[in-house]
Order: sequence, then C-alpha cells, then structure tokens
Amino acid sequence: MRLLCCLDGSNIERISNAVTSFFPSERLTTTLLYVTDSGPHGDIGLQRERFLRPHKPGPMRREQMREADESSAQDILEEGLRYFPGADTLRREGRPEREIVNFAAEWNADLIVICPRSPQSGGPVLGPKSVGHVARFVLDHAPCAVLLVRTHVRRNATQA
Amino acid sequence: MFLFIHLPALTRTILIVAITILTLLGIMTRPFKLNEAMCALGGAGLLLILGLINPASAATTLLGDGNTFFFFLGLMSISALAEVAGFFDWLAMQAARLAGNSSRRLFLNIFLLGSLISMFLSNDATALILTPIVYTLVTRLRLPVLPFLFACTFIADTASFLLPVSNPINIIVISRFPMDLFTFARLLTVPCLVVIAINVGVFSLLYRGQLRGRFDIKRLPNLDTVIKSQGYFRYTCTILALVAVAYVVASALMIPLSLVALSGALLLLIGALCWKQVTILAMGKQISWSIFGFIAGMFVVVRALEDTGLTTQFGQLLLHLSGNTRLGSVLVGTLGAAAGTNLINNVPMAVVLNSALGGVQHVSPSVHLGFVAATIFGCDLGPNLTTVGSLATVLWLLILRRRNIDVSGLDYFKVGVIVTPLMLLAGALTIWLLLP
Repeated sequence: MRLLCCLDGSNIERISNAVTSFFPSERLTTTLLYVTDSGPHGDIGLQRERFLRPHKPGPMRREQMREADESSAQDILEEGLRYFPGADTLRREGRPEREIVNFAAEWNADLIVICPRSPQSGGPVLGPKSVGHVARFVLDHAPCAVLLVRTHVRRNATQA
Repeated sequence: MFLFIHLPALTRTILIVAITILTLLGIMTRPFKLNEAMCALGGAGLLLILGLINPASAATTLLGDGNTFFFFLGLMSISALAEVAGFFDWLAMQAARLAGNSSRRLFLNIFLLGSLISMFLSNDATALILTPIVYTLVTRLRLPVLPFLFACTFIADTASFLLPVSNPINIIVISRFPMDLFTFARLLTVPCLVVIAINVGVFSLLYRGQLRGRFDIKRLPNLDTVIKSQGYFRYTCTILALVAVAYVVASALMIPLSLVALSGALLLLIGALCWKQVTILAMGKQISWSIFGFIAGMFVVVRALEDTGLTTQFGQLLLHLSGNTRLGSVLVGTLGAAAGTNLINNVPMAVVLNSALGGVQHVSPSVHLGFVAATIFGCDLGPNLTTVGSLATVLWLLILRRRNIDVSGLDYFKVGVIVTPLMLLAGALTIWLLLP
C-alpha cells in the first residue's frame, strides 16, 4: 500500500499513531511530504508593490527566507523519519493543498493521511470549520482514499 | 503646444481633469505593465506638452517640495544602510530572546518592535524590511507565519503617525501646513497610541488560538551570521540613536526633517564605505528611484488641477460636508482620506487633499487643524483597510479567487475590514476630543 503522509510540523505523532493502529501488520510504502507554503511570499510581494517597490525582496533577504524555509522543512522531515524509519521524504513548495493532491496523483498514492488542521491554526477541533482549507481541498480533490486523523476528543453524553 | 494657443478656460479645465483621471486610473490599474511612476510622469508630461501647465509653475512646485524628495532619499538610504549592518535582524532576534519562549509574548514584541521602527525609520522600513525578517524568524521557530506577518503589515501603518518622520505622507502634509511638535503629539501621537492598543487587542483576540504554543529559541542561528562587521554595527546603532534624537529636536524646532535624514544617511554611508560593507553602486540599487518620479509626476498633475480651481471647490465641498464643525472636519477628513487612499494610493490622495485644504478658507483655526490632522490620520491608517494595495488589487484578488486560484491576500482584506474601521473611528474621535 502506498501511503502519503502530509506533515505540517505539528502532526507527526498523531499521524504515526493513526497509521500504527489502522495498519498494524500491513506492508506500507510511505512517503512523508512537507509543503512549504508559497502564499506568504506572495503576500510580502504584494506589500512591497503597495510601497512602490519591486515585487521580490532583495537577493540577500530572498536567500535568508529560502534558507529558513529549507531548514524548517528539513527539520520537520527528519522528525518524521524518526516515526517512519525508511520512509521516503519529499519537500515541495507551493500551495499545500494543490501540491498534496498533485503529488498523490503523480505517485499513485493509495491513501493520503492528513490532519484536519494544525492545532496552531486555532480553529475548532470539532464541528463546523473544524476541517481547515488545506484538508478540505484534499478531501474534495484527492485522487485516492483520504484518512483524516482527528485529535481524540472525549465528549460527555450531554454534549453529544 | 496649447501654450501658444488661447484655449477657453472650460476646455483647459476639461482637458486637465481628463488627464488627471487617466493618470489616476493608470496608477490604479497599471496597464501594459506600466508602473505608477510611469503613469504619474506620463500625466505630468502630457500636461506640459499640451501647455496645460506652465513649465515654470511645474518647476516651482517641485522645487518648493524639495523637503519631501530629500526626506524620501534620506529615509530610504538610512533604512538600507541599517539593513546592511544587520540592525533589523538583531532587533528581531532580541525580540525573540526577550519573549521567553512564549509565542504570545513574541507576538507582542513584534508589535512593539514594528511600532518603534515605524516611529523613527518610517512605515516603509517596518513593512519592507521587518516583514521578511519576521517571516524568516517565525519559520525557523516553526510558529504559524500569518499572524506575525499580519502584525508587521498592520503595525507599519498603525504606528505611522507617532512622529512626523513615521510616514513620508506626514512630511508631504506638514510641508504645506506646518505643525509644531506639541500640536502633532497631541493630535496624532496620542490617537496613534489609542489605535495601536486597538490593533494589538483585536489581533491578540483573533489569533489567540494560534499563539498558545511555545517555541525553542535554539532553532535560531547565531547572531554572528547576521552581523558581518561588529564595528559597523556599533557605529550604525550610535548614528541611528543620534538620528532619532535629532528627528525629535528638529520636529520641535520646525527644522526641515530632510536635513536630519540626509545627514544621518551620509554619516551611515561614510561608515559603510570605511568598513567596506557597501559600494556606492550597490547602495544606488537599494534606493527605489521610481518613487521620486511618481511623487514628482503627482505634484505636477495636482498643481495643474489646483490652477483650475477645482481643488479649492473640493475643499469647500469638504467644508460644507463637515458643517464647519470640529467633529465634522475630523470625520469628513478621516473618512475622505481613508476612502481615497484605498481607491488610489495614499501619496496621490495626500497631495490632492493637501491642495484641497489650501482652498479651505474662512474657517476657525480649530476646524482647519482638524482637517489637517484628519488628512494625515486617514492617509496613514486608511491603507490598512486593503493592505494589499488599493481596491483595484482587492478586486483582482477576488477575480483570482473566483477562478479557483487561492490567494491569501484576501485574508489581509478580511482582517483589515474588521480592525480598520474600528481604529479609524476611535482615532478620529480621539483627535476631535484633543482639538483646541
């Protein structure tokens, strides 16, 4: 089974637990994917245009930003390898939701494992809007099955 | 061309208005990949070629606004040379270290840092230099990027009327309507503190969920990687401290601030050359020369418009709408300026309003002061409504979204719509309360 695990820097433990409990004895070919969001770079460019400057920051700043993106991605993927030893790792750059869907199609993934939203994003854990825009897009456009790994929430009978 | 042909006043007025509208439309839509400077200079050039403005009058206007041009030059040079020294990177790292591993405290520190940079080095420095630095910082710390980028983007303008030097718009307005430091502090610094508090409060509430975590400071690189020359860095810190003091003193004594900015830039340039941190050629590339063309073009176009008497009538219209009252002048001035900055850009809007305010006559000094303070306030804070630029940009982003192309620029707009009207209203009321 070809498993595509989508990392966001905060979800590796949840993904690992889910994979272990759902596929305890299955032979898995796993790829850990981390996408560096290019959105903020575009926003910085728009901001520069408003101040009548060229879209891209100077070469020194661009290099600094690229290095930060790269080191952060490497860090996250290395952390992922501690949970999935032997897995392939891949870093892409762009809109995360599109890169995930495109890579799943290119790689012929059987299952995409994704969390509904990063706990850092501050959205609700359950209920409306509990699935962030990245996971929502993946659910809507994925070319294969998707495993949405929610945070385990205990709710009492009255809430349920 | 028409300089030698007598044109009826109405025809001249129609031609000037048509060229002004075309120029503004060009600035808003930037057709054929033309930049704003080309559009403004094109409009000014057309007016000159057609003889719709006297070349001597255009030259007088530009020479009269020398303080604005030199201030822009000094300001951009100071920011660029301080950036070379690693000054902004060092400040951002200190903000992270002083946060004690708390995301929330780092968020507040970024607001504080952005306010200080805007205060002494203008909103340009915060928006253009601090923003990418903060992006690098929070990416390395593996914190959510957007709240911190929003903080930098918004505080650049929110804190841009703490001092006259905090925004070049202030210089454009104050050059025409001089204001002593005490009056500026009362009518603009105090409201600025009020709107900063609102900005921080609303953002802390909006992003409370994303700022719960902690970070590991060890993820940041060593300070040596950002400061290449300790000697030049220390020299830059000293000069910047002197420039900050000189700005306040010059504002108090009503000395042209361009003198301070240019002197500071020259001292920093000498230091950078001595420590071999920059070359003249590299320094020249750091300056956005097209801004001068943009401002010069706008000054000429608005001067031609002013000669038709239309801006005076616009000023009278503003006065009429305000009901000749202090509250009316502040509200009309603020809302007019804020709407205009989002429709075009804050520089042309400030130039147009400047000209219009020149036509506001037979009013009490208090009402006139209300209009001037509101113009600065609205033109400085207004851009936060559509932080991505102008309404034209927002419409473009909406079209992209309709085509299923995701653009996070719209997220800025959503936040701007929540926080900016609140800040505009609170700030305007504070100005009104503090008017003499």
